[in-house]
Amino acid sequence: MASLDSAVAVVDLTKDFGEIRALNNLSFSIETGEIFGLIGPNGAGKTTALRVISTLLLPTSGSVKVFGLDVVQEAARVREIITYLPEEAGAYRNLSGREYLEFMARFVTKDKNRFQDMVNEAAEICGLGDRLKSKAKTYSKGMKRRLLVARALMSKPKLTVLDEPTSGLDVLHSYHVRDIIKRYVKDNGVTVLLSSHNMLEVEHMCDRVALVSKGQIVAEGKPAELKERFESPNLEEVFAKVVGFA
Amino acid sequence: MLRGFGNFLLKELKELIRDPKILLGTIIVPLIMFPVLGAVMSFSVQSAQETAGKTVIIVLNHDNGAASSEFITYINSSLRVVEAHVATIADAVPLLAENNATEIVEIPADFTRNVTARLGVQVKFGSVYAGSGLFEGIGSSVVDALVEQFNRNIAPDVVVPEKSAIVKGKIVEGVDPRMLSSLMISQAIAMPITMMILLSYSMQIAATSVAMEKEEKTLETVLTLPMDRFAILMGKLSGSIIVAGFGAVAYMVGFNYYLGSFTAMIPAGANIDLVSLGLVPSPFGYLLLGTSLFVALLSALALAVIISSFAEDVRSAQSMVGYIYPFIYLPSLALMYLDINALPLAVRVIIYAIPFSHPIIASKAITMGDYWTAILGIVYVATFTVVIMYIASRLFATERILTAKLKFKGLRRGKKNATEELQ
Repeated sequence: MASLDSAVAVVDLTKDFGEIRALNNLSFSIETGEIFGLIGPNGAGKTTALRVISTLLLPTSGSVKVFGLDVVQEAARVREIITYLPEEAGAYRNLSGREYLEFMARFVTKDKNRFQDMVNEAAEICGLGDRLKSKAKTYSKGMKRRLLVARALMSKPKLTVLDEPTSGLDVLHSYHVRDIIKRYVKDNGVTVLLSSHNMLEVEHMCDRVALVSKGQIVAEGKPAELKERFESPNLEEVFAKVVGFA
Repeated sequence: MLRGFGNFLLKELKELIRDPKILLGTIIVPLIMFPVLGAVMSFSVQSAQETAGKTVIIVLNHDNGAASSEFITYINSSLRVVEAHVATIADAVPLLAENNATEIVEIPADFTRNVTARLGVQVKFGSVYAGSGLFEGIGSSVVDALVEQFNRNIAPDVVVPEKSAIVKGKIVEGVDPRMLSSLMISQAIAMPITMMILLSYSMQIAATSVAMEKEEKTLETVLTLPMDRFAILMGKLSGSIIVAGFGAVAYMVGFNYYLGSFTAMIPAGANIDLVSLGLVPSPFGYLLLGTSLFVALLSALALAVIISSFAEDVRSAQSMVGYIYPFIYLPSLALMYLDINALPLAVRVIIYAIPFSHPIIASKAITMGDYWTAILGIVYVATFTVVIMYIASRLFATERILTAKLKFKGLRRGKKNATEELQ
């Protein structure tokens, strides 16, 4: 149940697109410094939930608070403390990786030292080295994703929202991106909300997970607890049991 | 026969024809636009002919002999003659407006004597130059034709026309209005063409810039940044204006060279100083013209931003912006040939309602010293722009900037598919 002092408090969140109900009374909360995963198949409503929390979409009903700030009434203030990485995000093709990071850093700080630290930190996180001087259009999908993850983390936001952070990446790039997130979050105390349809991946990354199906949370808890509760070897099987496939 | 060609062609046709953007842009728009364009052209020519037929000429007859009567009869066969009893063309200028006349002819006292003796006689003609378009000076051409016809019946070159232009009520001796028209071709053609190119080019830039954010999937990230969303809109508009501005300057430089070839055709010795004739806008006039162009450009860009917000990629955005082109091209082409004041009220209202017409109307009005037309146009286009900018800013302030394309797509493919994409 969502508590008032949570990093994220989602209470009875409903989102309709015309006649389609994408989220149906969704409720969950995330504690500060936690990596929380929303998992579920495509079309379950994960991205919609992340977009509402990131102030991109308005809820039809219910409330969402990020560190006590209402995402509807105080959207501008919420944007100051969060970063959001969309599933299929891109970088500006004709900017170099470094220029892209500088462009993004300028929105966060006007202090020259902090700006420089932020860009250097991002350069280290993404590990692109000299390729940061190349235009983003020359990057592979994996390189681009690393750049974008670095952008999302470099400002040390209070909350970072990552939609399918390893989407479309091969095994090695996925491993690298997961490693970046885990390390950075633990070192800097950033709260993470991520979504994935790759339940095995989430199992290894998240402190707690919520299983989403048809816009509702069908189970919530620590990965180990859920596996134990549903007597399953992995979250994939837990999900199948919860939604009645197994 | 190539193996698989028929099957592939069938698939290709289905794909292309079922794409509403292609269907509209490639087939339906030209089907509508070109007939309308043809109608505008035919209307222009018809209107020019009617104008020529309705031309009123004030005749100052100082001769009153048989030849001058015959000459007036000739003129009367094509133009409407109003006889006035004043001494000179200058004295007749104030009578132009009250008689709705654009031409004055002064027949000298020795006309009949000289014509009868087959001696050359100089007849003074004054023609009003109003800067109304490419068909300006058609009245003067009709006068030429009449004089030629008269000479053919009597004797070659017996009547020698001595032409003057009447600009803003002042007589400019020895200047044929047609010559002025040639010199002012830049005003008659350059402005409409500049508008067509500048607006369509900058709209493409603005539309591409918004659609690129969507196509490259950068928009969502930008919308969650700690920045004013109106700044995104203004950044897009300003960027497009700057790039389009450079484009416009490059275009104008090139086009001026092109126009140089027209003015080079003016006969040598026709030393016409447009500044002294008052046919070059004053600094205030230029300021008004620049403002008029700027607000029209801003309205076009804001429209392009709104329209391209509904597109899912760059190609779609460019096709969708193309639907506005007829509203730029048609008034531009019409105003190239026509005097807006000579058009029927309904057509005039339509042209005035299109914001992109106003810089062209303003350029003609300012040259003729009519600043109020330009100022009212600026006020109208600025109001239109504010409304469009407000709509655009609302679009950027809400989730519609993200969902608009999906709803648009949903209209075509079914609502369910569209919303499923968001989940």
